[in-house]
Amino acid sequence: MRVSLHWLAEFIDLPDPDPNEVQRALNSLGLKVESVTELEADWSGVYVGVVDSIRPHPNADKVRLCLVSTGKEPIEVVCGAWNFDEGAKVAFAVPGATLAGGFELGARTIRGIESRGMICSERELGLGADHEGILVLDPDTELGKPFEEVVDLPDYVLDLEITSNRPDQMSMLGVARELAAFYGVPYRLPPVEVVGTDGALRTTVRVDDTDGCYRFVARELFGVEVKPSPLKIRQRLKAAGIRPISNIVDVTNYVMLELGQPLHAFDFDRLAKNEIVVRRAQAGEKLRTLDGVDRALTEADLVVADAETATGLAGTMGGGDSEVTSETKNVVIEAASWDAPTVLHMSKRHAIRTEASARFERGVDPNLPPLAAARANRLMMELAGGTSPSEAIDVVARAFVPATVSLPLAEVDRLLGGVVPRPEVRRLLERLDLEVEGDDPLVVTVPTRRRDLERPADLVEEVARLYGYDSFPESIPTGPAGGYNDEQHRHQSLRRVLTGAGLYQAINLSFSGTEDLAAFTYPADHQARLTVRVSNPLNEELATLRTSLLPGLLRTLRYNLNRGSRDLGIFETGRVFIHMPWEEDDRLPYQPERLGFAVSGHLGPSEMGNGARPVDLFTATALWRILATGLGLDDWRLESAAPAGYHPGRAARVLLGGREIGYVGELHPLTAAAYDLQGRIAVGEVELAPLLAPVRRWELVEPSSFPSIDFDLSFVVPEEMPAEELLTITRDVASDLCERAQLFDEYRGTALGKGKKALAITYRFRAPDHTFSSDEIADLRQRLVAAARALGATLRGEKA
Amino acid sequence: MNLHEHLATSEATIQAAKTVADLDEVETKLLGRNSPIGEARRQLGKLDPADRPAAGMEVNRVTAELNRLISERRAELARAEANVLLAGDSVDITVERWTLNQGTEHLVQQTIDEVCNIFIGLGYRVEQGPEAELAWFNFDALNTPPHHPSRFESDTLYLDFGDPADEVLLRTHTSPMQVRYMQSHKPPLYVVVPGKTFRSDTIDASHLPVFHQIEGLAVDSGIVFSDLKGTLAHFAREFFGREQRIRLRPSFFPFTEPSAELDVSCFVCGGTAASCRLCGGSGWLEMAGCGMVDPNVLDMAGHDSQTLSGFAFGMGVERLAMVRHGISNIRVFIDNDLRVLRQFR
Repeated sequence: MRVSLHWLAEFIDLPDPDPNEVQRALNSLGLKVESVTELEADWSGVYVGVVDSIRPHPNADKVRLCLVSTGKEPIEVVCGAWNFDEGAKVAFAVPGATLAGGFELGARTIRGIESRGMICSERELGLGADHEGILVLDPDTELGKPFEEVVDLPDYVLDLEITSNRPDQMSMLGVARELAAFYGVPYRLPPVEVVGTDGALRTTVRVDDTDGCYRFVARELFGVEVKPSPLKIRQRLKAAGIRPISNIVDVTNYVMLELGQPLHAFDFDRLAKNEIVVRRAQAGEKLRTLDGVDRALTEADLVVADAETATGLAGTMGGGDSEVTSETKNVVIEAASWDAPTVLHMSKRHAIRTEASARFERGVDPNLPPLAAARANRLMMELAGGTSPSEAIDVVARAFVPATVSLPLAEVDRLLGGVVPRPEVRRLLERLDLEVEGDDPLVVTVPTRRRDLERPADLVEEVARLYGYDSFPESIPTGPAGGYNDEQHRHQSLRRVLTGAGLYQAINLSFSGTEDLAAFTYPADHQARLTVRVSNPLNEELATLRTSLLPGLLRTLRYNLNRGSRDLGIFETGRVFIHMPWEEDDRLPYQPERLGFAVSGHLGPSEMGNGARPVDLFTATALWRILATGLGLDDWRLESAAPAGYHPGRAARVLLGGREIGYVGELHPLTAAAYDLQGRIAVGEVELAPLLAPVRRWELVEPSSFPSIDFDLSFVVPEEMPAEELLTITRDVASDLCERAQLFDEYRGTALGKGKKALAITYRFRAPDHTFSSDEIADLRQRLVAAARALGATLRGEKA
Repeated sequence: MNLHEHLATSEATIQAAKTVADLDEVETKLLGRNSPIGEARRQLGKLDPADRPAAGMEVNRVTAELNRLISERRAELARAEANVLLAGDSVDITVERWTLNQGTEHLVQQTIDEVCNIFIGLGYRVEQGPEAELAWFNFDALNTPPHHPSRFESDTLYLDFGDPADEVLLRTHTSPMQVRYMQSHKPPLYVVVPGKTFRSDTIDASHLPVFHQIEGLAVDSGIVFSDLKGTLAHFAREFFGREQRIRLRPSFFPFTEPSAELDVSCFVCGGTAASCRLCGGSGWLEMAGCGMVDPNVLDMAGHDSQTLSGFAFGMGVERLAMVRHGISNIRVFIDNDLRVLRQFR
């Protein structure tokens, strides 16, 4: 909503009209000032002049010689326009004047006659495109006045953001009313008296749909002359962002800006049978709206019709058939009150957003139409002539009366902390033009324009707002016990462990596409195929919620590779969405949090000249181990697996507490190729909740003060035996004494025979209470070998 | 030679040793069997028993003193010899022989953590909530009228899931957690809720379809408007710096009454430049929506709005980060460009 300070001054005498002060007041009231624009005259040296006399140019037919006076010595100029006569008031640029675009006016000689000035058109002043003729001013314009004063320049235009609960502020009057409350000064209404005739009204109005239309006021005006509005009106409309059309149409817009009531003007002679009917449209009914679009109506659309056809969409946009044209002689003014949701849905359905719909969809005062219709009637008569019946048609389909709200003063104190003194509460409410009775509770009568004030809390807000949010002291209440819970702490640890391992945290959009399902070759019954779809997607990329974090991570890898990063490790935690009921609330889709990672290039400690280790499966398993260690998880293991999208021989299932929580491994080369990725990519995706579940509290194990015994054993085992199995079995021989059992070499060679490999393990044993004897050591060794043998392993260098 | 003289001459001998090996020889010479000390020890047995203790003590004193001098000199010489060796072992310490790259947490995550930490300091807990949510929590329970424009399909993403009457959607703000938290906890409630939120927006310099908010809620007996103001002012000063001014400006949200916007004074121009790229000349930056919890919201969540009161606020995480770090394009947050991520540690 754009507000000109000059225009606003017609409604209120501000104590300080400085734009900065007005801006401060409006912001404090909750009418946010988005911008302040200074409108300046685009000229200098232009005054109001009068054409004293006109004579023909002796040497030219198309131009005339005009003697123009600005109250001083008359000046003769050559003028090519013919749209004025002697006695006309004009905007006269004297020699030395500067016009729009920086054009400096000097004396010119036209066909032998010197012209020492110029009668200006709108275009020369930068006021409009019109240069068919010169700008003719109102006859009563004061002679000799600088022309900028005639058009109220300089002026300031404030662009206000009006909150959706306050449609009553969407007018000059509404803004003036707020400022009046702020300063405690009066505001005023524009003149609305219509000096009419006694003639009977000729139009009939029938409201068939009383759900959609609360009130319909119509006024008639006969014998108008449709022509452009005076300059001032046109300037004000333009400053407000509305294009001037003709005096009749301009008045409807002008009064809407003044009072906040959208209006419509019909050509009386184009309304079939002089009838206006408010009804729902019939299915299939057509209407060409003022913007020239043919619209197919639905039964939900509310229309204003004549006896035959729809003539406009109620409160939204009029129709072309009954619009006021330059031929119009007789006019019907419509000022109606429409049901807000009806207009809202209609404007959404037809994608029409007008100044009218913007107001109606928020709710215009249902009792404003009579006043606005009278104001428009009066202004039209002023600008277009004609006569009107003094009566208006006023159909009240649903009456609205002022509401009363009871406000206990204790409620004000309870919410505002007693900051606003009790006598002040009444005074502030009264400043808003609310009628206040009683001492405690205050009984407040709320006019129908403020339907946002329904409850005590609503009135408390008004008190706080007018008292000024700035005037409240500051206090800080604190909660009884705050902080992160265990899961949140562990989430932080998880992020620290992974960033410490060289991974960056990514945050991707929560969407993925069908191409991702294909890239991962999920089988038909795979959970990742149970996608949740958006029913009203903006585009296909934002249509399906992700069932895995990996596609987003892989796209992020590609994005960075394309920008020259080579060694990349990223992780993400976030929700995925599976089309099955969620155990926490079965009305919602299952939306577990996951942890995913993807790494390409190299990762880990890097040495000068050698760099870090190339990424492969072991990067993925190492990241899992680092994470499990960092989070203090112990009851986990990895099992060889071949999940969809992974390298079939280089992937592992992650089991935690015996339960599968996800996979880590190398990406299948074909899946990688689907994301334009080459080389080995280490990825993993696991459920987050089990990682964050608090772990058991560890009890201290006293470190032994006795020496350890270290020795290595190398076993020959079948190729398919996992090293982990051999480690576990041998460790279990004396798990209470075994401090370490670690693989330090994996060897294959012809000497071992086909299908065999050698696994070298280093062991460390230590007893809590004594030093091992040589017999004990020999016994341990023997038991380790025996356990391994039971698995099919032989000690290397020993016969099977 | 009496021992006293021996000690006096030995001191110079010890200092004269130039290497640890020399010193070893000197030690034998001064303290060995054939040294005056050795001789003195042998003579002890021949002395009158009455003189023996004094003479023994003198031998021991001189021996100890010589040992001290020798060991001091040995340490000196050993250090000098080591230094000669280490001089040949010196390296260019500016060379990076090996390193371990450290990743970073996403700037959105860092911002969330920082905001949460400020409120944890005030005794708040941290909660998360579902991202796929019921319209009832997202709108109805937050006092949003049935025909409110925010419910339109042009703003809200609805999901094909479950009972159509439930209207499952992607939450448009973190505010539904106000209701879920109020339903499952007894006052006093002090909680912040960071999380993802969704709008039907195409990606451009200032819009993302998925972004982050932090919701705050305090419900207690005796919460007043000044508490809201003081809490948010505290937050703004902690997050943006003590020198920033703040103001609350009346606004409107269906779920708060009174409602306000939190504005923070512009960092770039402080309100002095009419064409400031950050604030557009107003001097203020809109940072959060807030207000006193609407009584309808308290009632719908099962609390008594007659005796309890509270305040709530919500802020955009990306917006906080953009303002503070001078980021003009919100896309930065979803590009996950390492060259950007690694700048924020």
